[in-house]
Amino acid sequence: MKKMFAVARWEYVEKIKSKAFLISLILMPLIMVTLGVVPAMLASRPDTDLRKIGIFDQSAELFLPLCEFLDGHYKLPGGGPNYDLVPIGDTMNTLDQARNLADALVLAHEIEGYVIVPRTIMRDSSVEYRSENVGNTRITGRLTSAIRDILVQRKLRQHGVDPVFAREITSPLEMKTIKVSKAGAQESGFMEVFFTAYIFIMMLLFLVMTSGQLLVRSMLEEKSNRVIEVLVSSCSTTDLMAGKILGLSGLGLTQVGIWALIAAVVIVQLGLTIISLPTLLLTLVYFVLGYLLYAGIFVALGSPVSTEQEAQQITSYFTILLVLPIALAIPVMQNPDSALVTVLTYIPLVTPTMMVLRIPINMPSALEIVTTIALLVVSVIGVMWAGGKIFRTAILMYGKRPTIPELVRLLRS
Amino acid sequence: MLQVTHIRKQYSTVVAVDGISLGVRRGEMLGLLGPNGAGKTTTIRMILNIIRPDAGTITYDDKPFSDAVRNIIGYLPEERGLYRKNKLLNTIIYFARLKGIPPDTARARAREWLERFDLSRYADRKIEELSKGNQQKVGFIISILHEPELVILDEPFSGLDPVNQIVLKDMLMELRRQGRAVIFSTHQMDQAEKLCDTICLINKGKVVLEGSVPEIKSRYGRNTVQIMYDGDGSFVSQLPGVKSADVYENYAELVLDSTNHQSELLIEIARRLNVRKFEHVEPSLNAIFLDLVGADKKANRGSGELS
Repeated sequence: MKKMFAVARWEYVEKIKSKAFLISLILMPLIMVTLGVVPAMLASRPDTDLRKIGIFDQSAELFLPLCEFLDGHYKLPGGGPNYDLVPIGDTMNTLDQARNLADALVLAHEIEGYVIVPRTIMRDSSVEYRSENVGNTRITGRLTSAIRDILVQRKLRQHGVDPVFAREITSPLEMKTIKVSKAGAQESGFMEVFFTAYIFIMMLLFLVMTSGQLLVRSMLEEKSNRVIEVLVSSCSTTDLMAGKILGLSGLGLTQVGIWALIAAVVIVQLGLTIISLPTLLLTLVYFVLGYLLYAGIFVALGSPVSTEQEAQQITSYFTILLVLPIALAIPVMQNPDSALVTVLTYIPLVTPTMMVLRIPINMPSALEIVTTIALLVVSVIGVMWAGGKIFRTAILMYGKRPTIPELVRLLRS
Repeated sequence: MLQVTHIRKQYSTVVAVDGISLGVRRGEMLGLLGPNGAGKTTTIRMILNIIRPDAGTITYDDKPFSDAVRNIIGYLPEERGLYRKNKLLNTIIYFARLKGIPPDTARARAREWLERFDLSRYADRKIEELSKGNQQKVGFIISILHEPELVILDEPFSGLDPVNQIVLKDMLMELRRQGRAVIFSTHQMDQAEKLCDTICLINKGKVVLEGSVPEIKSRYGRNTVQIMYDGDGSFVSQLPGVKSADVYENYAELVLDSTNHQSELLIEIARRLNVRKFEHVEPSLNAIFLDLVGADKKANRGSGELS
């Protein structure tokens, strides 16, 4: 035991001082924030300049109300109008003439794009938007809803409906989502629940990735300079393996802990309540068990490795295996009680991710929780046992990787 | 202290160690000799319980291996077994802790040893910044810091300059004086000859020669002749009656089939060379080694180092 802690302490203290640790500590959240937040921020950032949009209105009915609608609804941060609607040619032009004219304006960047409103607009409700950039969903979205709004109100008026009433019935619908749980109803959006679960899974992924990689690296280093011989002649392989897992887990937890602390501060600052305490504790149980399972697998796979390339291969394959459940996250969120999800929940390798996802959305039954935890504990013990056996022999193997039959023989011995 | 009896180890189709027995007492130094691939390192690893023998027994003070045994053995592997990126003093303390030494004691002893080996100024440097010879000294410190009763050193002299070879030799003799059992493997016969109480020569996984150095020498002593000469002496190994020969530029050591035909031999050599000395001697361990390990090693004459 004493030696195990000596190993754990060494792995922890020596690695925490390394530059690699510091870099991953800072870099990972930076990458996550960059990938997760920046595109969303860019997409939702308001325009700062007036956008000129052309309109070729063959019906001659839409131009004025559209001007009014856009001016009324969309303003620049400075208070000026966001859009300037510019008529293209006049109604005497043919469609082809107007199109040639307007396309040239678009290409010359005189206008952002333009709308063609056909004469038959009131009957077939179809317009055309032409631009260099048709991927700007903000403009197309706004134009669509503006034109739809105008058309609906106009049609209602034609049928003798009072204009004020017409505006009332066309006002858009707002939907609030309330999560119901035993703790009581709580206002929370789908995105909040999703991100809670998502953050936990990402943390598990990063924890496994960083400490798994460190584990394989550390075994590889000790192997290549034969430190392993001195170690194995000083303490038992069980102490060595357990100490390594303990020390490197501590390292991973420190890393995740620091991130969690930052996240917690942000959450408190923003006044968000995302997760209740029992949920958090249960999540942690799956988190730790899942981590131990993966650590055992890393030991078993990593100890026969004797080159840097092999180590790279193993860790990257394994990472793919870990990322897989994340791809399943959205279907699980949408239907946490489906048969697929139930089946996946009972596969130990993905149990932790599945449960971590399901717990905040819809607490699984007590029976399910107890059986999956039991299953996980058994798997962890099994994997640790097998990992230890493989570790004992494979850690001293050089050059060649053991074949599957050799591994089976190892486990039997 | 240590008794190894008929141990055997097989790797898939290769028998690395085939029924080796050896023993070492406290205050005794055992030299483990043999060509590369003879099974020396495998034997050492089995003694250290790094790998388990397929058959045979190893006892430490008549008891089988246990966790307690780990703390009384010190080991210096051939590749030195050191971390590269970690600081010298921290690494030494870590290895001592793994041998059950409290950190404070370990630190004090480590400082003492670093002082002795003139390494104090590197205490807070990374190990990779040290020269190879200095790294080897660090490995040696690690192997003895916990004051083990059995010290096993794999090729401790290789890579050391003459000054440090003397330092290490003095250390080994001190360990013996302190009543520790010492085993070291080497290629350097002259080192083994001068230092060891007993030697154990291994070839192809088997013990081919064992015993105390004087006893072995007297066993082989009758048939050895040293010649010094001027001229090309390469033919002497082909002469009738010569069992094996270790030939240098103007010096040769011959092991004869018998002592009966010595004068004919001398006449034959004197006819072709200017003989300056012809002497009946005790063989060097080197000559015995060559004689036993076989003709295929004959070509390999260096400064007494065989590889």
